[in-house]
Amino acid sequence: MTDVVARRPRVELPWAPALRLLLVERTALLVILLGGLVAFYASTVADFFTFNNLAGSTAFAVEVGILALAELVVIVTGRGAIDLSVGSAVSLASVFFGELLTKYDLSLGPAVVLTLLFGLFLGSVNGFFVAVARLPALIVTLATLFAFRSLALVITKAVPISDLPPRLYDLALYWHGIPRQTLLVYLPVIALVYVLLRFTVYGRHLYGLGTNALAARFAAAPVVFARFGAFAISGLLCAVVAIVTSARFASARPDAGTGLELQAITIAVLGGVAITGGVGAVPPVVIATILITLVNNGMNLAGIDPIWQQAAIGGILIGSALLNSFALRRYRLS
Amino acid sequence: MATPNRTHALPATVGDLLRLRTIGWREALEAREASILAVLVVMGIALGIAYPQFGTLDNVDNILLAVAQVAIVGVGMTMVIITGGIDVSVGSALSVCAVVVAMRIQDGAGIPEALVVGIAVGAGIGLVNGLLIGLGRVHSIIITFGMLNLLRVVSFKLTGGKWLTGLPDTLNYFGSGTLLKLPFAWWIAMAMAAVATYYLRRRPTGRHLYALGGNAETARLAGVAVLKRTIFVYTITGALVGVASLVFVGQAGQVVQTNVGYGFELDVIAAVVIGGTSILGGKGTVIGTLLGALLVGTIRNAFVIVDINPLWADFILGALILLTTALDLLRRRGRET
Repeated sequence: MTDVVARRPRVELPWAPALRLLLVERTALLVILLGGLVAFYASTVADFFTFNNLAGSTAFAVEVGILALAELVVIVTGRGAIDLSVGSAVSLASVFFGELLTKYDLSLGPAVVLTLLFGLFLGSVNGFFVAVARLPALIVTLATLFAFRSLALVITKAVPISDLPPRLYDLALYWHGIPRQTLLVYLPVIALVYVLLRFTVYGRHLYGLGTNALAARFAAAPVVFARFGAFAISGLLCAVVAIVTSARFASARPDAGTGLELQAITIAVLGGVAITGGVGAVPPVVIATILITLVNNGMNLAGIDPIWQQAAIGGILIGSALLNSFALRRYRLS
Repeated sequence: MATPNRTHALPATVGDLLRLRTIGWREALEAREASILAVLVVMGIALGIAYPQFGTLDNVDNILLAVAQVAIVGVGMTMVIITGGIDVSVGSALSVCAVVVAMRIQDGAGIPEALVVGIAVGAGIGLVNGLLIGLGRVHSIIITFGMLNLLRVVSFKLTGGKWLTGLPDTLNYFGSGTLLKLPFAWWIAMAMAAVATYYLRRRPTGRHLYALGGNAETARLAGVAVLKRTIFVYTITGALVGVASLVFVGQAGQVVQTNVGYGFELDVIAAVVIGGTSILGGKGTVIGTLLGALLVGTIRNAFVIVDINPLWADFILGALILLTTALDLLRRRGRET
C-alpha cells in the first residue's frame, strides 16, 4: 500500500445535521412519523382523533408492546440473538393458565404466580440452549416456536378454554375510558424494563455483552448468566402477555400468540434496536409500539381489509431494518 | 491456524461412504449421512414389524410423495444455509407460486408455460430476497421474515381469499406420476441434487459458498464475489420453490387454497439441518438434505400410522432440530480444542 488514494472530501450539505439527527436519534424520527400519522388519520378517518378511540386502542398496544420489550432485552445481547418463539410461548402460557383455572380449579392469585413461573421456565429453555449450550438463537427459537405451538395445540386439542373466573375479566375493563391493562400492566412493565436496562448492573451487562462479548468477559461480566437471563426475562414477559390476552378474549386460546412475533420484532427493529446487538432503548420502542398500534387502528376505522395490516407490518419490518443497517454503517455507530 | 479445517475441505457424502477405504471408518461414522441412513433403516424395520401397513409399497410412495417438495426446495435451502443465511419465506413463496401456476392452468396453460411461469415467479421472489439481503446488508432472517408475511398477503389478494377449484389435471404427472416405480417429483429432486452436488464440490463458485459461510469477511478479502453469490443462492432457492409449486398443484388435484405452504419452512429447514448442514454456515451436503427430507417424511407418516395425535409432529421436529444442531456444534468444538 504505497499510494493511498485520497477520498474526495464529502461535501457538507446544509441539511446534513438534520439528516444525521433523524438517522441517529431514532426517537426524533419516530416522533415526527407519529405526528405525521396522527395528522393524516385525524384529517382522513372519522372518529380517529377522539380520546375514546386513542385511549381504547392502547389495549392492543399492551400485548405487542410488552413482547417488543422482550425482543429488546434479547436482541440487545447481540451475537444474532432474537426470540422467534414469543408468539408460541404466549399461546402455551395462556393454555397453561387456562388449565390451572379450569381443570385444577386454582384461584386467580396462585394461577397467575404459577403462570409467570411457567413463562420463566419456557424462556429458560431457550436460554439454556442459547447461553449454556451455545447454539445459535435463531435456530433454537425457531425450533421452540414450533414445539411450543405444537404443545399448546396438543394440550387443548385445538379448542379454546372458556369459563375462566369472571374476576379475571376485570383486568380488561375501562377506567375513565382507558383500558385497565394499560395502566395496571403495561406502564409498570415499561418502567421496570426501563430501570432494568438503564440503572441496574445487570442491564448494563446486557449492553456490554451485545457490544463486545469478549470484552465483557474480560471485564468479569457474567456472560452466560446475562444471556440466559435475557431469554428468561423474555419468557416471563410472554407469560404476562398470556394473562392479559386471556382476560381480553375472556378465554385461553391455543392460538393466542399466533403472529405476535412478527409485530414484536417489527416494533423492536422500527424502534432502532440493532440486530447486531448493543444498540436499543426503551423509549423509542414504546413510541414505535404506539405507531404500529395506530397504523392498525386507523386502517380498521377506515374499513380497510385487515389482511393489509399484515402487509404493512411486513413492509415496515423490511424498511426499518434497511434503514437501521444504513444508519449504522453511515455513522459508524457499531 | 495450523489445523486444517477438514469440514470445509471434504464433506463426506454417500459417494465417499461407498469407498470406505479412502475416507476411513472414523470419518464414515462421523458423516451425518451415515447416521441418518442408520436411523431411517432402524425406524423403517421397527415400524414395519410393529405396523405391517407401514412397510407396504403404497405407504412408501405416500412418504416419498409427501416430502418431494421438501426435498426439491431443500436443495436450494442447503446452499442458503451453507452461506450462513436462512430463508423462512419459502412457505409463503410456495403459496404465491402455486396460486399463480394454478390460475394459469385454469386458463388452459400447458406444462411448459406452467413451468416457466412457476420458475419465473419463484426466482423473482428469490431475487428480491437476495437483493434486499445483499445490498441492504441486513440479516437474512429479518428480510425473509418480512417477506413471509408480505407474500402471504400477495397470494391472498391474488385469489381474493377464495379457493381455486375445478383445476384441470395438466400437472398430475408432476404430482403423482411415477417413472421406474419412483415418483417423478423425486427424479426432479435427485436431478437437482446431482447438479447441486457437482456445483458445490467441483465448481470454484460452489466452493465459494462454503468460504462465505465459514467467514464472510475473509472470503471477501480472498476475492469471493459476496454480493453475487448471496443473490445467487436466494434466487436459486426461489426458482426451486417454483418447481416445487408445480408438484404441489399436481398433488392438490382440483383445489388450491391460499393457506398453501403454511409451516412448509419448518419441514425444509428441519430436513437441511437434520441432514448435517451446519446452521452456522460453511458445512453441509445436498445428499444429507435429501436423506433429511426422507426422515422428516417418515416421522410425519409414523404419527399417522401409529395413530398418535399429529399435532405432536411439530414438537418432535423442533426437538430434532435442536438435537442435531447441538450434536453438530459439540463435534465442532471437540475438533477445535
